[in-house]
Amino acid sequence: MRLDSAVVLAAGEGTRLRPLTKHRPKPLLPAANRPILSYVLDALVDAGVDDLHLVVGYQRDRVQEYVGPTYRGRTVTYHVQEKQLGTGHAVLQARDAIDADFLVVNGDEVVTAGMVEAVMDAHSATDAATLGVVESDRAAEYGAVSLDGDRIVELVERPDDDSYRLLNAGIYACGPSLFADIESTGRRAGELYLTDAIADQIRGGNAVRGVRIEGLWSTATYPWDLLTVARDLLAIGHVDEPERSRGVYVDETASVHDDATLRAPVVVGPDAAIGPSAVVGPDTALGRNTTVDAGAVVEASVLDIDTRVGANATVVDAVTGQGVTVGPGAAIPGGEADVRVGTTVHEGRRLGCIAADRATVEGAATVAPGTLIGPDARVATGAYADGVVPESAEVRR
Amino acid sequence: MCGIIGYVGDADETLSVLLDGLSNLEYRGYDSAGVAVGGDGLRVEKRAGQLDALEAALHDATVSGPVGIAHTRWSTHGPPTDDNAHPHTDERGRVAVVHNGIIENYRELRDELERAGVTFASETDTEVVPHLIARELRGGLAPEAAVRAAADRLDGSYALAVVVAGTDALFAVRHDSPLVLGVGEGESFVASDVPAFLQRTRDVVYLDDDEFVRLDADGWTVTDADGAAVEKEVRTVEWEAEQTGKSGYDHYMLKEIHEQPVSLRQCISGRVDELDGRITVEELDDVGAPETVQFVACGTSYHAALYGARLLRAAGIPANAYYAHEYATAPAPVSGADLVVGVTQSGETADTLSALREAGGRGAETLALTNVVGSTAARESDHVVYIRAGPEIGVAATKTFSSQLVGVNLLTARLAGRGVDRRRDLIDELRGVPSDVQAVLDGSTAAAVVEEFVDAAAFFFLGRGLDYPVALEGALKFKEITYEHAEGFAAGELKHGPLALVTSNTPVFAVITGDGEAARKTLGNVKEVEARDAPVVVVTDGAAEAGRYADHVLEIPRTDERLAPLLANVQLQLVAYHMAARLERAIDKPRNLAKSVTVE
Repeated sequence: MRLDSAVVLAAGEGTRLRPLTKHRPKPLLPAANRPILSYVLDALVDAGVDDLHLVVGYQRDRVQEYVGPTYRGRTVTYHVQEKQLGTGHAVLQARDAIDADFLVVNGDEVVTAGMVEAVMDAHSATDAATLGVVESDRAAEYGAVSLDGDRIVELVERPDDDSYRLLNAGIYACGPSLFADIESTGRRAGELYLTDAIADQIRGGNAVRGVRIEGLWSTATYPWDLLTVARDLLAIGHVDEPERSRGVYVDETASVHDDATLRAPVVVGPDAAIGPSAVVGPDTALGRNTTVDAGAVVEASVLDIDTRVGANATVVDAVTGQGVTVGPGAAIPGGEADVRVGTTVHEGRRLGCIAADRATVEGAATVAPGTLIGPDARVATGAYADGVVPESAEVRR
Repeated sequence: MCGIIGYVGDADETLSVLLDGLSNLEYRGYDSAGVAVGGDGLRVEKRAGQLDALEAALHDATVSGPVGIAHTRWSTHGPPTDDNAHPHTDERGRVAVVHNGIIENYRELRDELERAGVTFASETDTEVVPHLIARELRGGLAPEAAVRAAADRLDGSYALAVVVAGTDALFAVRHDSPLVLGVGEGESFVASDVPAFLQRTRDVVYLDDDEFVRLDADGWTVTDADGAAVEKEVRTVEWEAEQTGKSGYDHYMLKEIHEQPVSLRQCISGRVDELDGRITVEELDDVGAPETVQFVACGTSYHAALYGARLLRAAGIPANAYYAHEYATAPAPVSGADLVVGVTQSGETADTLSALREAGGRGAETLALTNVVGSTAARESDHVVYIRAGPEIGVAATKTFSSQLVGVNLLTARLAGRGVDRRRDLIDELRGVPSDVQAVLDGSTAAAVVEEFVDAAAFFFLGRGLDYPVALEGALKFKEITYEHAEGFAAGELKHGPLALVTSNTPVFAVITGDGEAARKTLGNVKEVEARDAPVVVVTDGAAEAGRYADHVLEIPRTDERLAPLLANVQLQLVAYHMAARLERAIDKPRNLAKSVTVE
């Protein structure tokens, strides 16, 4: 059935993506060169949804500023989730605005219009809910699903079991009775989950339909996953900018010097500037108003808005937040490293560095693979940074 | 100032179009509102107070008719009462008129009409108009001719929209007051401002002075003062009606403060060429090398003008800033070798338009620095530079001021060095401004700082050099929306008088950017107020280590000395906003103020 309204969940920080989420929630982190959330909203609008409800919370100013009062001419209503008490609690915030069957979509996972349409088409008024499911050998890392025909028989968060091959894509079609179902669902550690409410429906014998959907589904759990998301999107050319030559996408307002080299696949955003002899790409996304100065090399990296890379600097396998500065001759050589997040060590990750909003790597500094640089932190001229550089800290020679 | 909306189209839609239009014009500030719906008869309702009062008055009636006009009034002649609200009518209720502007000869006209036995129902200047039209109708003129004849009698400024009972047409005319025409499918509109009808059409015609419009079921025609048809270009505006929504923010002002990184990127887009080391502003290609530059502006725009004049002088070009209202009556000497720059967000500020006309009349080249494409200032000046800030709804200007500051930097770079910046001193930092502003927004502690001063007696703002206009703007923003007493001073002027006002209950906000002579001297002034036990808040990039002498510090990132004041101002925007929010003021519509002041 056709659904007019969608509730988009965009209130959570995404703590495992720190330090990139210091000033904005995960839905606003870059998928290639624009926010993940923009892919979600585009998918909904292209699928014919014209009543958008955004649940916002953590750093909500940033979401509201990015999306504005309308998105591509569709009205956007904001619902504030003051405390982030789970996805079910988030959906409840929109309760008073919805009175017919509707969609719920995660705001932090890249999906396509075709997926949204498939879920809508499969859903009928007699179903308690319909979930989009995607085949993936990484299902066990996300919400895994078991299907019997077109019925979902099991829904389990991050099972410790590699036998699952289907994951919950985070696109749900639901009846308005869902709100009451969520309310009667038990809390876990004080939080109320949408998936628990749906699991209760399955246990209660109500029809929860699963529809296999195809297309690009991509998300980031850890900061370095943003490199994979960008690579996935670039591989299929799912970016806004016009294709200048095969796999080279350059916005009309960007200025690329005649002597610069763009290696496909690569996307260059609005107002970006690339100087002479610079080499950008492959698998690289430059956000709006970014600069890559003369002779710099940027490879397999995602540079978010306002980032500047100085002359002759090298940036490989790196994710930068907004307004990051990499000075002349600085080196982020990239490669594999063990990355420590909290108490967990992720071994052998391919990561040049994560540099959070407005971090600075000054001229001739070197950043070891796997380094996490906090917001407003500074690696001084000629210094060597390794491991974790906390927010506003300074690394000196 | 006041808002006008007029409609010709579907009889059943007229009232809702008018009420929606009024609500879209609310942001301009008003104290009364009214509508007139015409056709065979004429129904008029008007009320003092908010739109709710008007809507309640219309609640039980089925009002329909193919033409209608409506108005939000901001009192100039006579207090806000039901009688003084627009539309005004003639004695028989057959002619209804809404008006923006001031009719300067209304006293003579009113005396003349009263001598002829006309009874007036209000104290407004506007009411002479329907009586004049009624007299011409009685004299045998057709409605269109009667409206023209009446308009011929008026001196002053006006945008008028008129409906006459028994006529399915709407007539409108402007003189020194803005009026735009909206072209829809099977319907058309007039309004003082595009957002009034933007939900229904984006195709607009900007009317020039003394042009006359007739809207009827067949469409629209524009004629000049002599009645000859005028070909007008239909433009499509790119703003979205919903851009006038608050998108989840408590106030438009806060939304607009947060939009600044985006609006600043928009302002510099395509104008700063990183690769070439060149600043180019296409619109300035045919501007020569003026001997002097004079800025004319009012309010917040005047502070941008003061800053611009300082930038130009520092770059070696003689420049001064004048209040436009002073300039219009006491102009500075000017010749064909000089450039006069009018800074006006709306492009409709009456005082600034007058000053530009005065300067243009005396041979100077004129340039409008404005946000509104197709505005009167843009059309009347020799050159125009758009600041591209997008629509600003909050009465207190925020993002447009930031974009004005960038605009005068572009102008200065172009005039002083023909835009060449080979070392990219300014270009690098200009491209960094959006990110620097984002840093201020992400890290500001203004909300906590104002909490300390909720009961203060008065607030003073100090600055020197380029920081002085920011001190003035900080004080203006603060007084506009908090209603607390606030004054900005040139830091050096302090001990020549204002220091007498400083006590332990008057917080002093000092803007100190860079570590040059100006910063060091202002720091000396900070010590002077500290000695009087005044609490001190410094807004600083830390270069002069001013924080050591302050009770509170509002930090900004380091950048070029020309751009640091812009960042400091963002902190002061947040100071004003958070204090006003704390005091629960009507932040987007402060009392007695209007967004664009279209009367002198």
